[in-house]
Amino acid sequence: MNTRPPQGECGMYLDVKGITKSYRDNTVLDKLDFSVLKGELVSLLGPSGCGKTTLLRMVAGLVSADSGTIRLAEREVTTLPAHRRNVSVVFQNYALFPHLNVRENVGFGLSARGMTKAQQKVPVEEALALVRMEQYADRPISALSGGQQQRVAVARALVVAPDLLLLDEPFSALDRKLRETMQVELKALLRSRGITAVFVTHDQEEALAVSDRIAVMNAGRIEQYGGPMDLYSKPATSFVLDFVGMSMRLAGTVKSAEGRLLRISTAYGDITAPGNFIAGARVLVGVRPELISPGLPQGSPEATNRVTATLSDVMCLGAKTLIYGAASGDDCLVCEESGAYAIGLPSAGSPVTFGWRVEDTLVYPAEHRQ
Amino acid sequence: MSHAAAKTASPAGRTRDPFLLLAVPSLLLLGMLFALPIAFLLLKSFRDADGALSVAGYIAFFSDPYMLTALRRTIVIAFETTLLTLVLGYPTAFALARARGFVQTCILIAMILPLSVGVIVKAFAWSIVFRSDGVINKTLLGLGIIDEPLRLLFTETALVIGAANIFLPFMVLPIYAVIRQINPNLGPAAATLGAGPFFRFFRVTLPLTLPGVVAGAAFVFSMAVSMYVIPNLIVGERSQMLSMLIARSFLYLRDEQMGSTMSAVLLVIAAMIVIASSIILKRLSGRQA
Ligand SMILES: Nc1ncnc2c1ncn2[C@@H]1O[C@H](COP(=O)(O)OP(=O)(O)OP(=O)(O)O)[C@@H](O)[C@H]1O
Ligand SMILES: [Mg+2]
Repeated sequence: MNTRPPQGECGMYLDVKGITKSYRDNTVLDKLDFSVLKGELVSLLGPSGCGKTTLLRMVAGLVSADSGTIRLAEREVTTLPAHRRNVSVVFQNYALFPHLNVRENVGFGLSARGMTKAQQKVPVEEALALVRMEQYADRPISALSGGQQQRVAVARALVVAPDLLLLDEPFSALDRKLRETMQVELKALLRSRGITAVFVTHDQEEALAVSDRIAVMNAGRIEQYGGPMDLYSKPATSFVLDFVGMSMRLAGTVKSAEGRLLRISTAYGDITAPGNFIAGARVLVGVRPELISPGLPQGSPEATNRVTATLSDVMCLGAKTLIYGAASGDDCLVCEESGAYAIGLPSAGSPVTFGWRVEDTLVYPAEHRQ
Repeated sequence: MSHAAAKTASPAGRTRDPFLLLAVPSLLLLGMLFALPIAFLLLKSFRDADGALSVAGYIAFFSDPYMLTALRRTIVIAFETTLLTLVLGYPTAFALARARGFVQTCILIAMILPLSVGVIVKAFAWSIVFRSDGVINKTLLGLGIIDEPLRLLFTETALVIGAANIFLPFMVLPIYAVIRQINPNLGPAAATLGAGPFFRFFRVTLPLTLPGVVAGAAFVFSMAVSMYVIPNLIVGERSQMLSMLIARSFLYLRDEQMGSTMSAVLLVIAAMIVIASSIILKRLSGRQA
C-alpha cells in the first residue's frame, strides 16, 4: 500500500486548525485539526452524524466556522466564499443541474469562469472522455443511470482544474459491484492527474480501498489519522478498534502490572498484555481475529494468551471463515481462519480455545467505549 | 365503470390509465356549468337581435374606439397586476421555502387567510387606506414627502395595487411549490464550481423556478383580465374594464350580442394565455425530461 509519511508543518496543502462549529448547543465539530498533503487521497471515516459532511462543506466554503482557520494551497481561505476557493465538490446525490444536459453540466464551471461555448468544447470533451461518457454528451440528466450520473459529477468537478476535490459519499448510491469498479477507476484517475482529494465515507472498506490516509472521526473530533495499515494494526482508541475492521473484544480488570506487562482478568480467564495501566483499572482488551487461532497457538506458553469458550457459530465467508465463541455482555469472541476452514472443526456446543500472542493484545481504558 | 372495462386499449394501441376516470365528476360539472353556457354565449355573439347569423357584433366592437380603449386598458391593468404580483411574490416564495416551523406557518397563513376574506370586505378596507385622509396619505404628509394629499382612490394605480394584493397567493404558491422540488444542493454545487450569486441566480435558480413563474403568471393574468368586483369597488365608473362593460351590456343596455361579443374577446385572451403558458411549461419540462 502506498502510504506517504506526513511531512513537516510547512508541507501541508490543506491545513484545518482548531475548527469548532455548533448548531445551538449541539457541538458538531470540536477544535478539530486536519491536514492533507499535495496529491494525497484522504478519507474521512466515521459513523453517521459525526460531522464529516459539515467538515467537508466547511472546507468547500459552504458552511462557516465558529472559530479556527483553514489554509489551502498557501492561501488563508477561512472566510473566502465558496465560488472563490477553487474547491470542487462531488455531492452525495451528485446535484447535477436537471435543466442542463450532460455537456452543459460539465461545462457549467467553465461558463462561470467566463468561457464561451466554443472555448469550452475541448476541455469538456476531454473531461467526458476521462470518465468515458463522450457518447452521452447530449443526453438530459434524467436519462442517465446512477453510475453515469456519478461520472458526470466527477467530470464536472474535474474540468475546472480544482485545487482540491471533495467527495461526499460519492459511491453510496451505487450497488456493490458498480461501487467497487468506480472506486478503482476513480482512484486511478485522481492518481494519474495528481489530484488532491478528500473522500467522506462511513464504509471502512471503501476508506481502506481508496485512500492513502484515513482520518477516523467520532463526535466532532478526529480519533486517529494514519495509513490504512497503521489504523488497522495499531488502533489508537477503542473506537478506532471497533470502527475499522473486526476484533475480539473482552472487558477486563487489571490484576497486576509488572513493568510493561499487565495481568488482566476477564470472564474467560486471565490474560497477559503489554500496556500502561495501574492495578484495578477497568480495561477493554482487543485482538484482531486473524491473529487468533482456534486451538493452541505455537510458541512458548508465557508468550501466548488463551481463553476457552463454547463454540457458538462458524461462518464461512468464502475467502475466510469466522469462528465465534459464546460470550456475555458486550464481549465478542471471534477468530478468523483463511480459506474455507470447516474440516476437523468441533461442532457448535463443544469447547473451543482461542489463542494469540501476548504482543498482539491491545488494551484500552474501558470508559472509552461508546 | 368497472376497472377491467376501463383498461381497454385506445386506438393508439396504448392502455388508458384507469385513474383518468377520477377526473370524470369534475369534468362533468365543468362541462355542464362552464362549457355549455360559454358555448351558448359564443353562439350568441354571432347572432343579431333577430336571431340571424352575423358578425356585426365583432365589427362594432373592433371599430369602436371606446371599446378598443377599454380592451387595451383591461390588458394593461391585467399585465401590470401580474408584474406586480411577480415582483412581490417571487422573493416571498423563496422566503416561504427558506423559512422553517413557526415563521413558515405564519407566512403561509398570511398568504392563505386573505383568500377567505371576501373581496368586498377587502376592497372596502382599502378605500379606508387609499382615501385622501387615509393612512397612506397621512403617513406621506406626516413624513413631509408630499405637500398635499395624493389622489389614490379611483385611480388605476390603486386598482393594480389592490388586485395584486388579492391575487398574490396565486403567484406565490405555484412558485413555492416549484422551489420545494429543487434539490437544495444545486446552489452549493454551482458555488463550488465558481459561480457567484448573479451567475447562480440567472443560470440555476431562475431557469428552475420558471415553471412556477409561468403557472403563477397565467393564473393571475387570467383572473385579472376578467376581474369585476375589484375594479368596480376601487375605480368605479371612471375607467371601465371589459368585464364591467359586459355587465353593462347585459344588465342595462340589454344588448346581448355586444355583451356576448365582449365576453368572447375576453375568453379568447384568457384562453390564449392559458394555452401559451401550458406550451411554455411543456417546453420547460421537456428540457428536463
Ligand atoms: N444546518 C444544521 N442545523 C442544525 N444541525 C445540523 C445542521 N447540519 C448538520 N447538523 C448536525 O450536525 C451533526 C453532524 O452532521 P453531518 O451532516 O456533518 O454528519 P455526517 O457525519 O455527514 O453524517 P452522515 O454520515 O449521516 O452523512 C448532526 O448531528 C446534524 O444533526
Ligand atoms: Mg454526511
